[in-house]
Amino acid sequence: MTTSPAETGRMKLRPSFWRNFWSNAIFAPRTSLSFMRFDFIVGQIFVLSFTQMLFFAYVAALAQNATTPVSYVVVGNAVATMTYATVFAVCGTTDSEKSSGTMEHLLVSPANRIALYLGRGLVPLLVALATVSVSLTYAVYVFHAPFPASAVLPAIVSLVLTVVAMVGFGLLLAGVALWLRSSNQLANIFLFIGFVLAGANFPLSYLPVSLQWAGELLPLTWGIAALRASLAGAPTSTLLFLWGMTGLEAVVAYAAALGLWQVFERRAARTGSIVRF
Amino acid sequence: MAATTSLGPRALLASLRVTILQFLADPQWIIGSAAAPVVFALAAFEIYRFSSPELVLFAILGGGMMSMWAQTLYGSGWAIGQDRFLGTLEPTLGAPVDYIWVVGGRVIWNTVSGLLGGAVVVGVVALAYGRPLPIHDPLLFTLLFVLVMLALSTVGLLFTAIFVYSRYAGFVQNIGEFTFYVITGCMFPILILPSWTRPFSLAFPATWALEALRAATFTPYQGLSWGVQGDLLGTLVLSLAYIVVSIGLYRRVVHYLSDTGGGSSDDY
Repeated sequence: MTTSPAETGRMKLRPSFWRNFWSNAIFAPRTSLSFMRFDFIVGQIFVLSFTQMLFFAYVAALAQNATTPVSYVVVGNAVATMTYATVFAVCGTTDSEKSSGTMEHLLVSPANRIALYLGRGLVPLLVALATVSVSLTYAVYVFHAPFPASAVLPAIVSLVLTVVAMVGFGLLLAGVALWLRSSNQLANIFLFIGFVLAGANFPLSYLPVSLQWAGELLPLTWGIAALRASLAGAPTSTLLFLWGMTGLEAVVAYAAALGLWQVFERRAARTGSIVRF
Repeated sequence: MAATTSLGPRALLASLRVTILQFLADPQWIIGSAAAPVVFALAAFEIYRFSSPELVLFAILGGGMMSMWAQTLYGSGWAIGQDRFLGTLEPTLGAPVDYIWVVGGRVIWNTVSGLLGGAVVVGVVALAYGRPLPIHDPLLFTLLFVLVMLALSTVGLLFTAIFVYSRYAGFVQNIGEFTFYVITGCMFPILILPSWTRPFSLAFPATWALEALRAATFTPYQGLSWGVQGDLLGTLVLSLAYIVVSIGLYRRVVHYLSDTGGGSSDDY
């Protein structure tokens, strides 16, 4: 099979997958993720995570509710702290592109979209992992949440899977935000919705059935459940099920994000209406 | 000088009018300040609901106050930040009227919209509760709720001035949010916090106003030892002190900006 000179030329123009991935991973913190300033990241990892857990720990301590003890809410919130880096930051990249006037260039770029989006999600993913690791340390050493040594490996698997899924969810929201005037409000809503629908602070069974279903659509729900099961020493079959659900949500989120971007890119090419903010 | 003084109220009204119109043109911004408090209030409500009706009131009232806090923090940070970001600080400072009148109009609207956001949060959580709220004196509750808001707005006034001196206004707004919720005891009495935190809590007029509201309308409620009158007096004295310090700071802000040229900046 031979390749025509025109095709060869097009192939040369297209950067390789990994070059595209690393370019985005390295440059995004200075461009589309520039709102994630260093002081914000440090504050988010060390301060915000702690004060958020402290707040709900006091609420739980005052309630003295047997099903939601302090250890329960601090573990839930430790996982939920990853939403700042994964959902809010990743979703915000769309606004950054629009407001800095680079969306047009991105849309006509021949760059592989999967490499582009995955690369862009790398730094938020690392920040989220750092945040949740520090939060869990607070949960164990400050709030005395039980963390048996046997739970270390399952907990790591649970957290890594959840962070990856949540970055995918953030990319999905970034795709939806393409269609909106601003991603800010969407990011705000989904940043916090997990606190109620994902079981961070109380069991999902407290909610009406329809809201329980809505909660099950969030990767955070399965991630929190997986971590709690890991800490409780749940059987492998239970963990595999929870990891499978988290992984499934990740795959669906990334696929839907790419699909959405394709749809809105075509729409943009047709109507020129995408660069609005 | 006389002309400058007489222009002040007109500038305040004009600033208020423009701020309202800008809000009405794009009211989605209330989502930002209301979304988190609604969610946190619902989360606290779910934790409290199986404990006692009084604790449900903590969630409802706390959620309302969190919304107002968010509006105060973000709105006040932006009250001067918007001039720096949009490049309108120089002409505004050059206008023949004290800058505090212009900022005052914005802060008044922040106060009102904060109250609206607070009412939304209270409404949502009350709806989730599904029963009449265990409030014995709704009128007193409403009046003291407004007092909490007014006390919060004086904090906003002070923060607005302080934020000019700092490049970390955004940091304080985003990272410090939960710290304020904890310190002021939005969702729980400050008595359950360690005693060393008490001076920090009592440095905010909103803490006193909130204590007054709870002590006057929650039964039973174990509040601070000086009772409702002491809480109200503390609210009044601290609020006035905040206002006086704010006015002094605004005057310094204008000089500071004129001297350093540190006005317009994206990094606010």
